[in-house]
Amino acid sequence: MPYDVTFTRLETQALYDLKGPQAALRDWAGDALPDFPNRPNSKTETGGAALMFIGPDHWILRAELDAEDALEAALRPADAPPEISIVRVSDTLAVFRITGPDAVEVLAIACPMDLHESCFGADAASFTEAFGLRSLVTHCKGGFDIAVEQSFGPMVADYLTRITT
Amino acid sequence: MMQIPCPFCGARNESEFSFGGPVKPPRPEPEAVSDADWTAWLTQVPNPLGPVQEQWWHVRGCGTWLTIWRDTRSHDIVEGPGDGN
Repeated sequence: MPYDVTFTRLETQALYDLKGPQAALRDWAGDALPDFPNRPNSKTETGGAALMFIGPDHWILRAELDAEDALEAALRPADAPPEISIVRVSDTLAVFRITGPDAVEVLAIACPMDLHESCFGADAASFTEAFGLRSLVTHCKGGFDIAVEQSFGPMVADYLTRITT
Repeated sequence: MMQIPCPFCGARNESEFSFGGPVKPPRPEPEAVSDADWTAWLTQVPNPLGPVQEQWWHVRGCGTWLTIWRDTRSHDIVEGPGDGN
């Protein structure tokens, strides 16, 4: 019996990998970044951009692709000081949006993390596993977004097609 | 399946981690130890029946390297010598 979920492979997102001391990144990027999340594996969102705290001194900035040029101009990755690293990684992740009544059931099988709201709140964002792959999991309205390495995109699309048909 | 405590993420499933090997004693100075001791340090992997100190890499999570004590009899993650002090 297929699961009652809908999945969509999202258009390429603007993604920036940010590493280094938070204060140095804030000084360099200024208003280009949302406020820094204060808890590990959480995110903040401002003006369509989400900043996810995914590791020690490590963040992912995610926005719509339309915003990429503006972010590139504001973040100036090539000119960044040596204590920080800003790398555009938009092409590296394929993002799938899984929504519907059974979305939580699908993720419960695909992912070893407890994604119940009491453990993985609306502002949570974490790298973990999904379908056996390293995945960035976040909430979206009515379900979850999972981002996997781009080259695994067709395989995950196949998995999701099989569970919905 | 073990739940490994990551200092950044909290307890996570073992499948998110990659085993980094046991923690070896400090590297001795080759000239200052016997050939047997030097060879032992190079080739012998600690494998006690009981707690062993191991390194793990949270490769599918936050990327942190961490050290834990694991009891080889039960796979329980336990306090190491001195952890309670």
